[in-house]
Amino acid sequence: MKLDRRTFIKGAGASTAGCMLASLPGSIAALGAGPVSGSAKHVASICEMCSTRCPISARVVNGQNVSILGNDKAKSYGGAVCARGGAGHSLLYDKQRIVKPLKRVGERGEGKWQEIDWQEAYETIAKNLNRIKQQHGAESVAFSSKSGSLSNHFFHLAKAFGSPNTFTHATTCPGGYVVAAKAMFGSKAKRDLGNSKYIINFGHNLYEGINMTETRGLMKAQSDKGAKLVVFEPRFSIVADKADEWYAIKPGTDIAVALSICHVLIRDNLYDREFVEQYVEGFDDFAKEVEAYTPQWAEAICDVPAEDIRRITHELAAAAPHAVVDFGHRATFTTEEFELRRALFAANVLIGNIERKGGLYFGKKAKNYNKFAGEMAAPVLAKPGVKNLPKIEAKRIDMVDEQYALIWSSGGIYQSILTAALEAQPYQLRAWVMSRTNPMQTMTDRAKVVEALKAMEFVVACDVYISESAAYADIILPESTYLERDEEIADKSGKNPAYYVRQQVVDTIGDTKPSWLIWQELGHQLGLSQYFPWENMQTLQLFQVDKDAALLSKIKQDGWVSFGKPLMLREPSMVKAFTAQYPNAKPVDADGTYASQLSFKTPSGKIELSSSKVEKMAPGRGVIKYREVTMKKADELFFIQGKVAVHTNSATHNVPMLANLMSNNGVWIHPVTAGHLKITSGDKVRIYNDTGSEEGHALVTPGIRPDTVFAYMGFGSKNKELSRATGRGVHCGNLLPHVISPVTGMNLHTTGVKIAKL
Amino acid sequence: MTKRYVLVHDENKCIGCQACNVACRSENNVPESVTRIQVRIEGPHGNFPNLHFKYNRVSCEQCENAPCVKVCPTGAAYVADDGIVSINEKKCVGCLYCVAACPYKVRFINPDTKVPDKCDFCKKTRLARGESPACVSVCPTDALCFGDANDPQSEVSQLLDTKTNYQQKANLGTQPRVYRIPSRKGGIKA
Repeated sequence: MKLDRRTFIKGAGASTAGCMLASLPGSIAALGAGPVSGSAKHVASICEMCSTRCPISARVVNGQNVSILGNDKAKSYGGAVCARGGAGHSLLYDKQRIVKPLKRVGERGEGKWQEIDWQEAYETIAKNLNRIKQQHGAESVAFSSKSGSLSNHFFHLAKAFGSPNTFTHATTCPGGYVVAAKAMFGSKAKRDLGNSKYIINFGHNLYEGINMTETRGLMKAQSDKGAKLVVFEPRFSIVADKADEWYAIKPGTDIAVALSICHVLIRDNLYDREFVEQYVEGFDDFAKEVEAYTPQWAEAICDVPAEDIRRITHELAAAAPHAVVDFGHRATFTTEEFELRRALFAANVLIGNIERKGGLYFGKKAKNYNKFAGEMAAPVLAKPGVKNLPKIEAKRIDMVDEQYALIWSSGGIYQSILTAALEAQPYQLRAWVMSRTNPMQTMTDRAKVVEALKAMEFVVACDVYISESAAYADIILPESTYLERDEEIADKSGKNPAYYVRQQVVDTIGDTKPSWLIWQELGHQLGLSQYFPWENMQTLQLFQVDKDAALLSKIKQDGWVSFGKPLMLREPSMVKAFTAQYPNAKPVDADGTYASQLSFKTPSGKIELSSSKVEKMAPGRGVIKYREVTMKKADELFFIQGKVAVHTNSATHNVPMLANLMSNNGVWIHPVTAGHLKITSGDKVRIYNDTGSEEGHALVTPGIRPDTVFAYMGFGSKNKELSRATGRGVHCGNLLPHVISPVTGMNLHTTGVKIAKL
Repeated sequence: MTKRYVLVHDENKCIGCQACNVACRSENNVPESVTRIQVRIEGPHGNFPNLHFKYNRVSCEQCENAPCVKVCPTGAAYVADDGIVSINEKKCVGCLYCVAACPYKVRFINPDTKVPDKCDFCKKTRLARGESPACVSVCPTDALCFGDANDPQSEVSQLLDTKTNYQQKANLGTQPRVYRIPSRKGGIKA
């Protein structure tokens, strides 16, 4: 790596920082930044401005700036990078970034901090956690982290420490469809939007909540292949704008349309009978249940014309199997997410689009892919296992009810921390260790999250900012940003195996550490050294590739290495290309596909449209069923939220470049509703309900149903440390009730609110 | 003129995500308070539920008949060989005539250099290295196409020959080199 040392932004922290910044201990502003230095040549790496983790290519320019572009080698990403990804350097040397460990010196949440060194931080944490473990058991400490690359190291520490209570953000965002897919297919499903000819979308806002490959796939399908897009969403979002048809569906009623589509597919005999007979278990029970879900029935519930539902279903079936009903992402619309996401999967199963172009498919990791190829078409990464980890006897706090069994290993029910901390149910939590997670924004019922944090004996937060949640910690550990650290090789396989790796681009600024090192060093301090046998990231990487230095070098050089040809087991053209490439490949079926090889990790080995396993876990839920939900009181408006392209959920609102693009969220309100309340655009309004009250400003627009209001999420932070985000806009979590949905354990992002002009 | 660089913005494909805006800032060191390019999502226009947004790229239009060049008393604003409306900082006396003359309101005074600034298709940075402008290279949905319109084989020429397109304020006779493919309400027809 060629190092190019120059002075970066002269006088950062000294000349332009105001009083507030100077008083934020541990920040770049307070400590002064050294020169920015690093590779002047492009280094292939992985973005971390959101959870998609796109491959990027970055370099330091003239010691002043970091140029971040997409990586051309990763074709499905097209060398593109979104606004958040391009702004990564703005986070890197933000004066408000924390670059020194901090300890709380005032009341918890009061905002008084003192800089300390790493050793003092580790000693304080070890002393407190070991004391709590000794007095109350290791299970009284909860560990929560953003899922992804480094959560493995963090959760490894939790296991070594002896606590079963590890949580990701799953139940605040994607957990619903993951659980539904596990129940039906036995594993997660992916969607092949790019090859689809007909796409039905239920508010999966891919043009604002950007997931690069899926966003590009959707645009490619629409623009290059003339795919038709139908969107059901209460708000006129960008994806609704780009749709051929948009239906402003009543919030929380998506399931009625989804079930009605299934009804029409079966009743009008449009479904793939052959596929269902071969691969599906529980069809008859499902068919019997959906008999009642006619388009007329759905129209009365969701405000979508019955004739349109019928016509759209016929169009979908005509395009099948190269058609898809998008199963969405943020699965927090209602408490009936398990049923909604299963109903969406069911529509796909009925049109037989599984493992077909433009439909749903399952990831082809190296091990499986090689079996089909009959040779080592792709290297298999080794997983370093640590032997003799302590056996954990204690049950997880979310293991109170068997119905949640599918989410226990998929991230857990994050918000169950609140009940355990405040009501000692099922037992008392006493400490909370957080890594790059911001429950104050993403959980719900902010006041309760504050209470839970205050009820803890000890709180640790590892982050790059004093996030709204980190503001309630006793110790803050400053993590190096993704531009400053190396990581393990990551598996990003899709239709064929692919690997990529995060690599350090910039020399570390300030006194920060990569979190894998933080958890290793803390492990040593906790007396758990035997569980951390690896020396550093390089030894881990070499272990992964089984000391194949050439392979490691290739992955590092290109940043993205994919193997073989895309394979979908039931797509003849792909199977043909695959077998042509690999002479020893498994023999194909009579129809030229691998259809007979398609299997599912469910009790029956088939797709379980209705499931006796689920029936046992959650009586009454074996068959997908409609249940009426009450989302609001009669005199309230629906309150819904969504993502915006320039911010990531709860993480980027303080990043200077992105805060400059958008620092506030207006409350979308329909002109008729606004007229009744005498509100005009820009007016200050109060938005309130039984959970909380927020002040913001109105954005009067026809792009929302008259019975609904909308706000982009993640705004309105309340701790003073995030000065660019604090007090700007409406804090959605302060208005949403604390809920644990059946089976999925999801929290809830739809509720009722009232609005008043101020 | 050897080359005739033009930019085509497909409003069907544009999602207003501001990736272009951010990439341009990073590539060209654009200060926070000003902007060389942004995409304004305007609307929604129409009546519920027949609505649509407009994705309006706001940046230098690279006029062939550029008012900013005509009014510049010193020749600091000039059209280069490649057709790109450029700025010679050394010749600029800061009279601001060019800022006032621009009918698209896209010229601004750079607070760091105190000289008029605007989009130059990354002429001094990426273009000089043989790369396409930052906005074009990062666009997540491939809504931007850049190239030499003098070359009939170029992608931009093909696009302009085959797609309905328009230029902003064409009635002023400025002959912008930024072309736009208008979005077709209801579905994408690129």
